[in-house]
Amino acid sequence: MAAALGRLGLERRSIRVPDVALAAWLAMLAGVTAYGAATTTGFLTVSNMKAILTAAAFVGIIAVGLTVIVLSGNLFSLALGQTAAISAMLFLYTLRLGLAAAIVLTLLLGLAIGAVQGFAVGAWRANPIIITIGAAGLMEGMAVWLSHGQSIVPPASETSWQHLAQPVFGLAAPVYVFLVVTAILAVAMHRTRFGRQIYLLGENRVAARAAALPVTLLTVGAFGIASLYTAGSGILIGATSANASLLLTGSYTYDAIAAALVGGNAVTGGRGSIARTAAGAIFIATISDMLLLRGYSTGGQILVRGIIVVVVVVLTNLRERSR
Amino acid sequence: MSALERVRYRPRPGDLAPYAILALMILALALLPALTQYTVRTANVYDILQNFASYGLVALALGITIIAGEFDLSVSSMYLLGGMVAVLTGVGSPFLGILAALGTAVVVGLLQGGLIARFRLNSMPVTLGGYLVVLGITYILGHSKSVIYENFSVGLRLDKPVLQIFSIRSLVSLGIFVVAALVLRYLRVGRDIRAIGGDRRAARVAGVTVDRLLVGVFVVSALGAALPGALLSYSLATASPTNIGFDVLTFSATAALIGGVSLSGGKGGAVGIAAGVLSLSVLQEILSILRSPDYVSSLITGGLLVVVTIVWAPDLSRWFRTTRLARSVEPERAPS
Repeated sequence: MAAALGRLGLERRSIRVPDVALAAWLAMLAGVTAYGAATTTGFLTVSNMKAILTAAAFVGIIAVGLTVIVLSGNLFSLALGQTAAISAMLFLYTLRLGLAAAIVLTLLLGLAIGAVQGFAVGAWRANPIIITIGAAGLMEGMAVWLSHGQSIVPPASETSWQHLAQPVFGLAAPVYVFLVVTAILAVAMHRTRFGRQIYLLGENRVAARAAALPVTLLTVGAFGIASLYTAGSGILIGATSANASLLLTGSYTYDAIAAALVGGNAVTGGRGSIARTAAGAIFIATISDMLLLRGYSTGGQILVRGIIVVVVVVLTNLRERSR
Repeated sequence: MSALERVRYRPRPGDLAPYAILALMILALALLPALTQYTVRTANVYDILQNFASYGLVALALGITIIAGEFDLSVSSMYLLGGMVAVLTGVGSPFLGILAALGTAVVVGLLQGGLIARFRLNSMPVTLGGYLVVLGITYILGHSKSVIYENFSVGLRLDKPVLQIFSIRSLVSLGIFVVAALVLRYLRVGRDIRAIGGDRRAARVAGVTVDRLLVGVFVVSALGAALPGALLSYSLATASPTNIGFDVLTFSATAALIGGVSLSGGKGGAVGIAAGVLSLSVLQEILSILRSPDYVSSLITGGLLVVVTIVWAPDLSRWFRTTRLARSVEPERAPS
């Protein structure tokens, strides 16, 4: 029980300065958000809440997958946006084989892309950041080459994919997917041997290897899951925009990493949870939505996101250090 | 092996790899007329050096942070901010614009380096946040649009050929490379940077002022991104906040790693990085002579980056040496 709480960072211990600082920061963010919610016209409406959840869903699915990499102690991946974009492209292209085949093929490709990167990181201890930057370049090149630089549109005969973007009981379908895949991963990380071994690997790589954990396999799994989830999000992004090119890459990479960091997961691995990242994704979507409604420019939105990331990274790090 | 022994310069056959790669690239360029109908002119050499001027210093700056055992993801947005600040403040006097860009870089470097050194933070997440902050500021300064630099003559003067193959822009970059090479090779600070990258704890014990040096490394890194960014904006007579993604970062990381900078820190030098940048610049020139589409360049750069990262991976040789069973029980070297 204590160990389970420890993983969530909830075990009983004396409260120190960094805890207070983090609590103060969170309280300040909550206060500013509440103030913003009260004073921003059009924020506290049902339709806006739905918009926030939809925006959070696309980034959130990617971010919870990425969390497995973070927990395994391999920092993060910088190829997520490209993975999502090429998944959307492949999905729309393979729709001519039928909806089920398109989904399965896209998810398999996502899994394979991640597994290859994970193998280089796990077996050879290649630097995860640089490997994923290189992989992103390769994916961009491949995508332009194979698509001849044109954007992909779904075949006219096939319309079943449109359900993936339509509202169900008032909420967009991706929101349900986000909730379900987050719940599955959260349970898997705590109940399965794989999940517990990922935590151990992130906590102490030397000990994990000494305990004969399959380090390579675990890393392949971590990158594979992150990439699989990103491909899943790519399917939903493609279905929503009904038109896919590399432009879809957008800021998904940074938004997903920001969600994982803002959720308070330790960047050095081993401590954090899927739920924290999901909360981080919803928080970032809320802030972005509010800034947009208040008329902030793109720059203002990026700047605020960056400041929140830096402060949270410093505070969670201090908190981890003081344990 | 003591920390000082580790950082002492000792050439090994592997250290020649950057120059071998450069020689191969130049050979390919020289053979191009024999295989195709294109002739290689001095204009091509000028182009290669212009490319060197645009990205070389970023590779040098990033290379120095990697040698010091850190990494700076914010260089690609610092490059854009340098150009934006220079264009906005340098309308009357281009020198003032450059100074403003460099001043901004010093502030960014002090903040990032200060946080990383003071709180002993991992530089990846901090500079990722820094990347977003700097990009956001660039957008705000440019009102989310490209800004035109009215003083066109500045760019013309910076790019005017000198001795046919050079320009003021490329001479500035080459000059800074020479200074950096001498400093890294012969001054104490160069040895100390390699020491904190190779074995930080030992360096600290040996009396190296680790924290101050780290802040300095991040200031240098921001300066190395802002200066070529500013010069390029003058040359193009425009500055843009458009997120060009990790193009600058991909190019400079690949160049630094080809140039013999080790990702585990502590190893590399300015001459090797220059060879790495030149190799990639020659490659770009070959691709543009052959009129290959852009995706070929991103495939080759991305592929090269993956390959050099794997070559530098600490466990690669062990993976080939040992069996699966032996590997799983062999004790691992603790990360420093």
